[in-house]
Amino acid sequence: MKIVTILSGKGGVGKSSITASLAVELSKDKEIICADCDVDASNLSLVLGAEKYEEWEDLSTNVKAVFDLEKCNSCKKCFNECYFKAIKWENNKPGLKKFSCEGCGLCELVCPENAITMKKIFNAKIGYANTNYGFKVVSAQLKPGESGSGKVVSEVRTKAESLALKTDIMLIDSAAGIGCPVISSVTGSDYAIIITEPTPSGFSDMNKALEIVNHFRIPVGIIINKFDLNLEFTKRIEDFAQGKNLAIIERIPFDKQFAKALVEMEPIIKYDKKYEYIFKNIKNHLLNYLK
Amino acid sequence: MKIIGITGGKGGTGKSTVATALAFQLAKEHKVLLIDADVDCPNDHLLLNIERKFIKSVKQRIPKWDLEKCTKCGLCGTVCKSNAIVSIPKHTPIFIKEQCNGCGSCKFKCPVNAIYWDEKEIGKIHEGHNYNIDFLSGELKSSEPVSEFIVNSLNEIIETKKEKYDYIIIDTAAGTHCPVIAALEMCDTVFAVTEPTPLGQHDLEIILELLKELKINSNIVLNRSDIGDEELIIKLGKNYNSKIISKIPFSKDIVDNYSKGIPIVNKEILNLIEVIK
Repeated sequence: MKIVTILSGKGGVGKSSITASLAVELSKDKEIICADCDVDASNLSLVLGAEKYEEWEDLSTNVKAVFDLEKCNSCKKCFNECYFKAIKWENNKPGLKKFSCEGCGLCELVCPENAITMKKIFNAKIGYANTNYGFKVVSAQLKPGESGSGKVVSEVRTKAESLALKTDIMLIDSAAGIGCPVISSVTGSDYAIIITEPTPSGFSDMNKALEIVNHFRIPVGIIINKFDLNLEFTKRIEDFAQGKNLAIIERIPFDKQFAKALVEMEPIIKYDKKYEYIFKNIKNHLLNYLK
Repeated sequence: MKIIGITGGKGGTGKSTVATALAFQLAKEHKVLLIDADVDCPNDHLLLNIERKFIKSVKQRIPKWDLEKCTKCGLCGTVCKSNAIVSIPKHTPIFIKEQCNGCGSCKFKCPVNAIYWDEKEIGKIHEGHNYNIDFLSGELKSSEPVSEFIVNSLNEIIETKKEKYDYIIIDTAAGTHCPVIAALEMCDTVFAVTEPTPLGQHDLEIILELLKELKINSNIVLNRSDIGDEELIIKLGKNYNSKIISKIPFSKDIVDNYSKGIPIVNKEILNLIEVIK
């Protein structure tokens, strides 16, 4: 099975819209599975119109400190040692700032009275849905304020692999940014597609995304979305890509139809037939590369 | 002094556009500090045409092994929850620097004090100034995992400077994970910028839930309000007692100015100023 990851650095440039339509197009020729690895804001199943999950279970990828205040001797070691400043000190006893706790377990180690234990917490939900297009989409959603998104991304990938018997391609829709969850999404991919838009932010963030894929030595192609919003800047991106020997896979116009398709919860390729041609091109580029 | 956070959950909804426009308007009459806390992908300087100047490197502690002392017992690897230490008994530990969050469990666990502190650079802080706005921007080094340390470093600077300003505006990253929370914890009030699509609605709900837990008062800014279905957002806002205080219709001018580094000036942004005051 080949793994293809879609990322962008900048948010809202069209990752999920493009992933969804590419998935529909690819599924005509190949057995595929989608993994929504934007676990902060999981949207891919919505774009694919899959509202009903076959499975939606609690997931634990993290632990948090629990204090037994009866045993605590108020030595304050946990408070002093926590690198994440996740312990508050009130009435001469420790308390947890739960949004700051990374679950590293140092406090448990330093406590001389064994008054601290690291307890498993259910920080996310994970599951999958069947789309109307003959393939599955695996999603997870981190609970508000919980940490550990990188590990949740790994779980989504593992889940997708376990469901992907006889599957040719796994398409991964990553989060915005370049932090922990994006690194987990990109690792081990056979190909990466970076989506950008012709604005200074889009261009700057594309470069950040490139640093990540280059770090992991993953081959990459670029899609310029909303290219006609600023033709001059599109030209700049194209010149840049040419200079670096990077493939521009496709240019997609700005079109209010994309937002309408989202509201109807239909991939743009189904909502407006004129996009079939564009996604066929992207598919051919990808299949040619993965051959 | 008031600290205002701009967030939204979903990426690309217009957080930076709103944050920079707000700073631009307020700075006409007030002392304003704008913080770009989207440290993964900071862009506010591009939107305000600010030449950034490096002021500070953000470092994180990492362990280093004194191999003369190390007995190859492997205990350091057993306590590392970030999978940054691979220890095979009878071999010296293999350290994967990028994975390390500096927690210190390995150093504490080592029975022979063979571990001491070294450091790695994980990001940078820049400053700048334009349109009467003082500006700070954090930037994570690529392939480093812990964005929130950069945000914490920004927060520390805010603490030392806040009395000098009338308004501090913090522009957060997309999502709801650690760096967003770290940025929001500083705020008195938050504007959640979203768009009227099921995606905007889904991600907004998560951020409103988070703000409820943090007990921070929130209002909604509906961007590209005419593209999609605004009922989705109105309904959601009611559940969280969060009002739509401004609707910004899609306009090609906004996109053009955005590309050129000119902040938007329109009546919708002036509405926001009324709410803040």
